[in-house]
Amino acid sequence: MLDLSLPSEVTSVFETFRCCEFTTLTKQGVPITWPVSAVYFPERGQFLITTSISFPQKVWNIRRNPKVALLFSDPTGSGMTNPPIVLVQGNAAVSDEIVVLNEDMERFWKELYRRQPFSRNYSSNALSRKLMSWYFMRWCIFITPQTIRWYPQGDMQQASQSIEVTNAAS
Amino acid sequence: MPLPKLEETLRSFQSAVLTGVDEQGYPISVRCQPQVDEAGSILRVHLPTNIHMMPGPAGLLCHSHDEKLWKLKSFALQGTLEHQEEWSLFHVQRFVPGMNVAGAPGPLTTLIRARRTMKQILRKRGLSHPPIPWNQMKQLADPSTLERERS
Repeated sequence: MLDLSLPSEVTSVFETFRCCEFTTLTKQGVPITWPVSAVYFPERGQFLITTSISFPQKVWNIRRNPKVALLFSDPTGSGMTNPPIVLVQGNAAVSDEIVVLNEDMERFWKELYRRQPFSRNYSSNALSRKLMSWYFMRWCIFITPQTIRWYPQGDMQQASQSIEVTNAAS
Repeated sequence: MPLPKLEETLRSFQSAVLTGVDEQGYPISVRCQPQVDEAGSILRVHLPTNIHMMPGPAGLLCHSHDEKLWKLKSFALQGTLEHQEEWSLFHVQRFVPGMNVAGAPGPLTTLIRARRTMKQILRKRGLSHPPIPWNQMKQLADPSTLERERS
């Protein structure tokens, strides 16, 4: 368990941004970036991302190379004005089990439905449930940060502040 | 993808995310506003001085959504990064359509592919279709539940 001791403007970004840019590395070392919704677990100092088993590329990449990055740079819908841009670099681990609902996933689904209300349509009637069942079968990807860097006012041309998480471990 | 189309597609987004690899082998990303070079499929990017991306494989993502994370739109480029004195050059090698841009698969194609992959993954692991607890999912999605928990 990590105590990241981050300023509130940074944790607010993690809690209010509707999505972030998540990068994994292919076998050839090519970075591939996806927009994803990441859930921050402050009590663990970790982030949770999930992916449907129908889109497994992130998982294959992480099992070969756990080095990943999250960039929080799109504040649309967050309600924040001039928030910092936050770059998280760290190591990811993927659950072996295919999960629909457990304690962590409950937190994930609640957060997703709050951030993306229209996604509740995927389970709204018998037909959508049959056609969209793949959407609910997920792998959990836990990201433990190594470095967190933030750029006040969202200006990446200005000096950043950062913490090395290994030094912040409690 | 021909350059005029690339320029047009890029212009439909406010900015982009360029990602390379740092000295420790971790991906590293920046929000930027790339300029398409007149010479060909090359994007010019001004990297922040404290961002150190290794020359080599890199990617660029453009995506957008509305206030409720809907009306999703995205595409990605794969290529290589080269540093020059003032600018960094991203040499485009591949255009990867994501959602709701020219060349992106439609919803029906996405649905068919997703269902096919799901079946393959389950079959490969010798698993049957897991039950989905629809009643619990419905409860989690209920706006009044979410509102109650937030207050």
